[in-house]
Amino acid sequence: MDVPERLFEETVLPHLDAAFNYARWLTRNDADAEDVVQDACVRALRFFSSLREEDARAWLFAIVRNTWYSRVTRRPAGSDAAWSEDAQNDLIDGSLDPEERLLQQHTVAKVRAALEQLPVDYREALVLREIQGLSYKEIAQITRVPIGTVMSRLARGRDRLTTMLRLARQTETTR
Amino acid sequence: MTCEDVRRDLDSYLDRELEAEAARAVYDHLSICAVCRRQVAEREALGRLIQAMPQYSAPDRLRARASAQSIRSRSMRRALRWAAAAAVVISVGGAVGVLRSTATRADAIADEVVSGHVRSLMVDHLFDVQSTDQHTVKPWFLGKLDFAPPVVDLAPIGFPLVGGRLDYLGGRPVAALVYQRRQHTINVFVASEDDTLRPAEARAVRGFHVHHWVRDGLSFFAVSDLNDTELGDFARRLQSS
Repeated sequence: MDVPERLFEETVLPHLDAAFNYARWLTRNDADAEDVVQDACVRALRFFSSLREEDARAWLFAIVRNTWYSRVTRRPAGSDAAWSEDAQNDLIDGSLDPEERLLQQHTVAKVRAALEQLPVDYREALVLREIQGLSYKEIAQITRVPIGTVMSRLARGRDRLTTMLRLARQTETTR
Repeated sequence: MTCEDVRRDLDSYLDRELEAEAARAVYDHLSICAVCRRQVAEREALGRLIQAMPQYSAPDRLRARASAQSIRSRSMRRALRWAAAAAVVISVGGAVGVLRSTATRADAIADEVVSGHVRSLMVDHLFDVQSTDQHTVKPWFLGKLDFAPPVVDLAPIGFPLVGGRLDYLGGRPVAALVYQRRQHTINVFVASEDDTLRPAEARAVRGFHVHHWVRDGLSFFAVSDLNDTELGDFARRLQSS
């Protein structure tokens, strides 16, 4: 062999937690996430030789994403992930109040619930950006959309999340 | 620049994905527009809320299955390769010149830095001294190394120091300082400088980022799976502290 053998355990498995976390946000439950990552690992092993040196995490994410996507599209329509229509106009929240303090009073559980309610394409853009800290370019490659789409998904996802958290807060205070 | 223009670019600006010139325009607008500044505060608050959520980690059985699969598939590949090699030897009578790609020294060091980082996370030996207090961590290294690594807590800018340990790089003892950024761990390896220890300033190895710099006769390697922008920031702040 002309290239020293890289160990899957050293290269890919260190990103297993990140991969599981991504899958968990996509599927919204533990069992499905575990299945997705398990299948993704089998595929990853098969394609391991195609992995370029520098991008093991993004590479694994792309495989997780494909694995998940082929599962979702195999199921009957409407049974799982709700997608946004990227082209549709989202409700624009006109209020300009700072709300920062209101936002801060939300518990972790509420933020999690709100994020889970977002359409899956907005949710995954937010997870890859805010939690995994990936660049727009990496997110575009993993989710197979143009960078402009990543930008608008992030902006709309954040707008919606803000509105949802604000509404949750209002319902609570008027109770 | 109108408020509307700024709103359009605000997410890219906050994510540091905006070109320098456009970023400057947003920055200038924010300095005079309180309404847009509130929008920034709201976005930042939202980001903090998302990042503060505890994240899911892979169940142990999944990890065990994945590594068992890997070992099985490797022994299969080896068997196949031996078979292929045997076939070559038979066909050409062993007169095969082998070309090996030689990694540069810098590549080897960056690789070793990443392996050290991964090892520290895998074997659960991140700390010899666990403390967020730089005045506890720094003296711990006394007498263990022939140099005194500078220890600074960067908690004020969001990179809290969490501890330190003794590690080895290129067979030499080095200081490893551990910082945290959200759920990402950053290892900073500090070695006494030696001219061969000079990889490029920043590189990516196996999905991890490595930043290297030399200061006061010491060589620093910051390594993490944190995104390159934030790790770069961290490295710069550490260099100038």
